[in-house]
This record gives sequence, structure tokens and C-alpha cells, in this order.
Amino acid sequence: MTTEAPKPSPAAPAAAPAPPPNTITIDGREIPFEKGDTVIKAAHRAGIDIPHYCWHPGLSVAANCRMCLVELPPPAGRPAMKLEVLKWDAAKNDYVVDTKPKLQPACQQACAPGLAVLSESSEHVADARSAVQELLLLNHPVDCPICDQAGECRLQDYWLEHQRKGKRMKQEVVHKPKAVSFGPTIVYDAERCIVCTRCVRFTEEIANDPVLSVRERGNLNEIVVSPGRELDNDYTLMTEHVCPVGALTSKDFRFKARVWFLRSARTVCQGCATGCNAYLDFDPRNNTPYRHRPRENMEVNKYWMCDDGMLSYSRAIEGRLLEALVNGAEATVEEALADAKGMLAGLAAKPDRVAIVLSAQHSLEDNWALYTLAKAYLGVTRFFVTGKPLGRGDEILMSEDKNPNTAGVLRLCESAPPRPLADLLKVADEFDAVLALGGDIEVDAKELAVLKTKKVVTIASHVGPLSRIAKIALPASSWAEVDGSYVNRQGRVQTSERALVARGSAVPGWLLVGKLGRALGFATNWKRLSELRRAMVGDGPALPSKPGSEVRA
Amino acid sequence: MEPLDQDLEEGELEMPADPMSLNLGPSHPAMHGTVRIVVELSGETITKADVQIGYLHRGFEKMCERGTWNQIYPYVDRLNYVSPMLNNVGFSLAVEKMLGVTVPERSQYYRVALGELARISDHLTCNGAMAMELGAFTPFLWNIRAREMIWDILEEETGARLTHSFGRVGGMAMPPSKYFKDMVRATLPRVLAVVLESEQLLLKNRIFLDRLENVGRISKEDALDFGWTGPCLRSTGVPYDVRRAHPYLVYDRLEFDVPVGSTGDNFDRFMCREEEIRQSIRILEQCMDQMPDEGPMNIDDPRVVLPEKEDVYTTIEATIQHFKIVMEGIKVPAGEVYSYTEAGNGELGFYLVSDGSGTPYRCRIRPPCFAITQCLDKLIVGAMIPDVVPTFGSMNMIGGECDH
Repeated sequence: MTTEAPKPSPAAPAAAPAPPPNTITIDGREIPFEKGDTVIKAAHRAGIDIPHYCWHPGLSVAANCRMCLVELPPPAGRPAMKLEVLKWDAAKNDYVVDTKPKLQPACQQACAPGLAVLSESSEHVADARSAVQELLLLNHPVDCPICDQAGECRLQDYWLEHQRKGKRMKQEVVHKPKAVSFGPTIVYDAERCIVCTRCVRFTEEIANDPVLSVRERGNLNEIVVSPGRELDNDYTLMTEHVCPVGALTSKDFRFKARVWFLRSARTVCQGCATGCNAYLDFDPRNNTPYRHRPRENMEVNKYWMCDDGMLSYSRAIEGRLLEALVNGAEATVEEALADAKGMLAGLAAKPDRVAIVLSAQHSLEDNWALYTLAKAYLGVTRFFVTGKPLGRGDEILMSEDKNPNTAGVLRLCESAPPRPLADLLKVADEFDAVLALGGDIEVDAKELAVLKTKKVVTIASHVGPLSRIAKIALPASSWAEVDGSYVNRQGRVQTSERALVARGSAVPGWLLVGKLGRALGFATNWKRLSELRRAMVGDGPALPSKPGSEVRA
Repeated sequence: MEPLDQDLEEGELEMPADPMSLNLGPSHPAMHGTVRIVVELSGETITKADVQIGYLHRGFEKMCERGTWNQIYPYVDRLNYVSPMLNNVGFSLAVEKMLGVTVPERSQYYRVALGELARISDHLTCNGAMAMELGAFTPFLWNIRAREMIWDILEEETGARLTHSFGRVGGMAMPPSKYFKDMVRATLPRVLAVVLESEQLLLKNRIFLDRLENVGRISKEDALDFGWTGPCLRSTGVPYDVRRAHPYLVYDRLEFDVPVGSTGDNFDRFMCREEEIRQSIRILEQCMDQMPDEGPMNIDDPRVVLPEKEDVYTTIEATIQHFKIVMEGIKVPAGEVYSYTEAGNGELGFYLVSDGSGTPYRCRIRPPCFAITQCLDKLIVGAMIPDVVPTFGSMNMIGGECDH
């Protein structure tokens, strides 16, 4: 090279052209992108919907469904890449040669500054989407009336948005296996499957258990489980969740409900200390929960939940303490409170003989109420904490600590950390009375025998060893029946919305604590959650203002 | 019972000085549907009247907000339930105005034809009932006999005699039956003959005329001020008919007269309706000649119109189309619209607001008889108790329509 590029004069640095901004245009609308973004990802972030089946923000790009094809006009002065196609000409009654631009999948096309993308505004794109949709429905069975996905199925949505006509194929459709059991939780229907491979990629990339793969080619292909294996890892239900059609269905949810009758509440999973953000789907007509769905939170669970968590929705109604118990016999809450008053009379005089057991299973509100009653009104100094015993954890989402609010209880008693329940059982003789939250304990139920002679009052949403041993057990609402806050293992305070109307005689746990306090003669007059939360802010952890939202600790 | 021979103080035997108040309705056969009129009387003359509607309140407009657009048809059937087809047509046109679609020509003629049949049955019922309430039972039976002939046609077409639910957004539920035109052509002369006979029974009857003529008069200006429309307004001499003033469907291709009265009394209202029956028959005869026998009934848009049932059961595309329209409803673009048609009682308006979902955000109705009933008290104050019945009867208040 002999010619030298002219050097920029040091006297005029401003003459250097500014680098183009990191934006692309979609149908003329300018949107920003980040380094490494694909077109669909940038559009997704900007709230522009480019139709897609196989692309999922949490999975790798497969670009096999071809639904997200977009047109990329060439840069100024460059010829467009054209394809020759045969087009039906009704006037000539024959096919004629025509050209169309080569379309690109938006899920694979990287963003470059100034890239122009035509999506809705291109007739070629509209044609392509209609054709892709026709192909995907070509062999689809007439299953909507018996398919769990109906109502939230991409095939249905996109047919109306992008196809709106019948198929041209007159032949019998290809038949494939139906209702194949993939494992303990999942059923596969090959006829409904569009082989987008989301489930294959999920098991490989997220669950780290590449047990699913694609067999055969063309219209004969289907998803299969590796020989000798079942789809039985801890994240099987996520394959159903990522399935954009009704090919994978959950055995638990199958034929139980129609989704258009369900309503969703933004809740926090109670399965472990991870605190996955979830939607609890319930039918308001019969006040019954039907399933969990993960709620996107990039800081906590991304797009995912584990099987245990997905199935834990049933805890909202199962194993519940629904009526007050006095010495094991059912009583009204008022009677039980009156009995508690009699039993605990004179307690305030000797606070050192009272043990308080907080529960990592209950919300921050319930724990704060009991903590405040004990510390501020009774003057109790010794606090204990209990909850479910440790379980299996993993590197993905599952935490060994199976309690949703351990961090919350610990933070509540920051000045004097609560001791485990086992410590209380060792020195049980030092106490006359125990005020406890929750039914679950982490030690063997037999060890509770030392408390049999004590005056134990438990406020619990679920039946457990602690509620069974209690002289008086009061029924608290489950997490699904009341707004509540929970602190996960990362220290994030997350709130969970009420979904259901409380069952039985259950009322919020903090309300029961307040009633118990009033029965003992204290001014624990919390009547509303907002009132309690205002009181909490003073000495408790910061709370998010809206249910379903969260604050970073 | 108190004993009749009890000792009474002299003072108690005097006539009460307070004006007597009397409840007419809400449960009285002459109070069509349920309306209550509390009148204050001086002798038999009404000095004050308080007309209370609202005894029939179903929350119609609120109910409309919880179903899909097509699920509203059974509700509009129950507005003016004497001419439900006119409400079906009016509501269809309102939603179609919002969607920006026009139904095919054959469908337009079919809607006009069924609507005019409903108008005839509406007027027959109103005039017949009014005559009956004045003691003329035979003309009522005569009119109802004619109405039966019309209802037979409607039953043949829609499967229901009264609440047809036959309209659909973007067309009609079914195309005309094979013998529709033959039935209409055969029936119209018979209806006309019966109408003539019942008129002959009434229009030379001194009692009937005395109770209508110059009773319940309203001026042109007052009627306009109160928002009157329909036969009641035309009886005062204002030739306002939505079909003529703002033609919709194919009314601009059809010849008909707009009959008007001069004094705005009960008699003019009665006669306007009688004449409108004849005009409707004229319209129907032209419709039968002009309506094409072949052609689509519904618009060609899979987002709006249900697929053929056979396809629904055999192809996935039609299943999806059916599912989307039935379960989620037609996605009417966000916006608002006021659409109005000439119903049995006058201008029936639908003010609809859509938020783009499959369900109406708001469905406000302008029922013609609501505006008319509001000044019933003006018409009967100063009149006598017996005048209430023909005056109220000639207004044709329909409880279902007046539901507010």
C-alpha cells in the first residue's frame, strides 16, 4: 500500500465522525440494543412482539420455527438479496417466476448500529408468516377442545394474527404417537408438537440433564426420551412451561381446568429459601388453586422454577389447620382465644418463663407481630426459630433450606439472634409457656414430648407436630390467602399477593397474634395489613410498596 | 274488620282535607311491564303525578360488559321485547360501524325485511293492547291474530317466536329459509285485511274516539325538547324517521312514506302506528322483489364471523377460528361509536366503547321510550284518572327497553 490515509489533524479533533448510536429501527421505530443482542431480543426488550415459537429469552437460539422471519432492506446503494420464486398467477392459470427478498430469522440476526428491520410493514414477511403458520398446522390434530393448552396456545393466537385461512392440503394428516408418558410428570403428544426443540434445549442447557432429543426428519420428526431414561429430573415441569403448544402437558394439571377460567396472583413460591417469583393460577369460582407458573425475575429465578416448587401450589389447601383446636378438640377462634387468655393469665409477670418460637415458614408480617408482642409488650428475651428440616438443594434453583422466610426471621431478631428449636427442647424446664408460629419443625416430632406439659399456643397455617402438641392451636391463613412479605436467601424482601379467599376459620396470622395480645391485655390493635406494615417499617426490614414487587435489601 | 257501628266522633266523619294520593302500579296490567305512577287527586282530576320507572331493572348495560360482543344479542332481544329483531339489527350495525365493515347486500335486505316484520308486530301489539285496556277486547284479539301470522314467519326463520337472538356481528345467524319470500308474500295481504277489520271495529266507536281524541296532547316543540322520536314524535307533525333522515342498510332504495299527525294526541299516535303498518308492508313488498336469492349473508373476515360447523369439527384452522371468536370474542378496535336506527318506538341508539379486548368496555343504550315516558306526568296532569290508561298505552313504554 502506497497511499496513506490522511491523518486527522490534531488541531481539529471534532471532525472525527461520531460512532453511530446503538440503535436499530423496526418498521421505522428506533429502538436501542445492547452488545450481543439479536433483533428479536432488542425488540422483546422494547416491547415489540415479533411472533416466534422456538425462541425463548432464556434458551439458546435454534431458529427452526421460522416464524420470526423479518425483511432486512439492504444498506443504501447496495442491491437487495433476492430469491427467485414461483408464484401462482390466477389470470394465466399457471405459475410465473417472481422474486422476493431473502428473509432472515429475527432470533438469529445480530443487531448492528443503524440496521433497518421490516416486520409488520413488509408484505413479504406477512406472506412468510402465513405460510409458516400453514405449515405448522398442516398435520395438527383437531384437539383444541381436549387440549390443556387451548386458550394460551401460540398456534391459536398466531393463526388469527397471521394466517386467517384454511390449509390447502387435502390429504390425510400424518399421525404420530399420542399421550406418550415421558416420566412421572409429563405427557407428550407428538401430533401437536411443532418440534421447536425448546424442551430439548431446556433439559440440556438449564436442567443439565440432556434427556430429550429429536428423532426422524421432516414431518415424521418427534421428541423422544433417551433410551433407558425417563424425564425425571427436578425441572421436568419447565419443559411443559416452555412448550409453546400443547405437545407437552403436565400430568398434574391435565384435564383439571380450562385456563380462561383461571385468574393469576403474583406470589412467591414457598418451597424453599430461593423464593422463586410465581403466578398462582386459581379458579375464583371454587376458590381452588390449580397450578404455579414461574414469574420472570432475572435476579432470582430468571424464567424458571423447580418441580417441587411448581407442585407446591397444592399446599395452599392441603395439610391446612382450618379450625381452632383446644386440647385437640375443635373450637371457635373466640373460644380458643378465651381459653388462651385463661391459660396464660399472669404471664406478663414472669416473661423469663415464656419461650417464643418464630417460624421461617410464616411471613414477615406474622413473625413481626409475634416478635413485637413478645418483646415490646411481654418483655420476653429468649427467641427460637423453627421451620422445615433441610432438604436437597442444587446449583440451579433449589435451596437446601426449605423455608421461604429464614432470612426474614433472622433479620427481624438482628439484635439477639434466635436459637434453633432444639435448644429450646434442651432447656424446656426453664419455661412454663411457649408461644409459637407454624406447625412444621426441623427436629424429630418425638422430641417435642418435653413440651407436652407446657402451655403451648401455636398459630399455624398448616398442621404439623407443633400444632398437634399445642394446647391451643389457632388457624392462620396460608400464603395464598393473604398478602405477605418474605426474605429470600439473597436477602431480597419479596411480597406475595393474595389469591384465594381464606378457607375454614383461618384469618391472617398477624391478626391472630394481635387478638391474642388483646386477650392478654395489650394494645396490639392491628386491624389492617397497611396499619401493621406502617408499624413494621419503624423497626422491621424495608417493605416494597406494592404486592408482587420487591425491594433489594 | 272493625265493627261498622262503632261510635265515631263528629270530626272523624268529615272528608279529609288532604289531597288523595293513588298508586297506579307497579303491578297493574295497564302498567306495561312495571312502572309506578303516584298520582295526587282532586276528585277524579290528577293534580300531580310522579312517574317512577326502575321497577324493572336488570342492570342490562352492566351485564353487557361481561360477555363477548356476540353474547349481547340475547340481552338486546330483551330491550323492546315486542320487536326484538329491530334491536338485533340496531346492535349489529353499531358493532359493525366500529369494525368498519358492511354486510353483503343480501344480508342488508334480510335485515330490513325481518326488522319491518318486527315493526308491524310492535305496532299491532301496541294498538291492540291500548284498545283492550279501553275495553275493546275484540280488536286486541284481531291484532294478535295478525301478529301470530308474523311470528310464524319469524319462527320459521329464526327458530324462536319472541327472543330470536338472530343477529350476528358481520351478518346473520342463518341465511333466509327456502320459503321466506313465499311466506312473506302470502302473509302480508292477510295481515292487511286483519288490520282493516280491527280499524273498522274501532274508528267508528264513539267511546274509543272520545277517549283518544284531544287526550294526552303534546306540542311539537315540547316533544322535540323532551327527545321524543318515533311514532310518538311523528304524531305531533314532525316528520323525523331515522330510516328517512339518516338512511341505513338499504332504506334509501325503498319507497315509503313517513306518516305524521297534527295534534299529538292519543288518536294521532294510534293512527300513526296504523299507517306505519301499511308502510312497512310496502317496504316488505319491495324487499321481496329486490332481495337477491343467492349470495353471501356474512362478511368474509375470519376474525369476525364463525366458520362452518362442519369445518369446526374436521379442520384445526376452523376449530381455532371458532375457539377464538367464542372464547375470546371478536376483537373490536378500541374506540367509541354512537349508532342509531329506527326501532319500534323511535330512535334506538347504542353508544359503545371498546378497549380492544373481546368484551365491550361500555354498552350504553338510548332507549326511545325512556325519553317518551319521562314526560308522561306532563300529559296526565290536569286529566282524569281514566285518561292515564290510553295516554300511557299510546306511548308504548316497554319495561325492558326503559330499564335504567
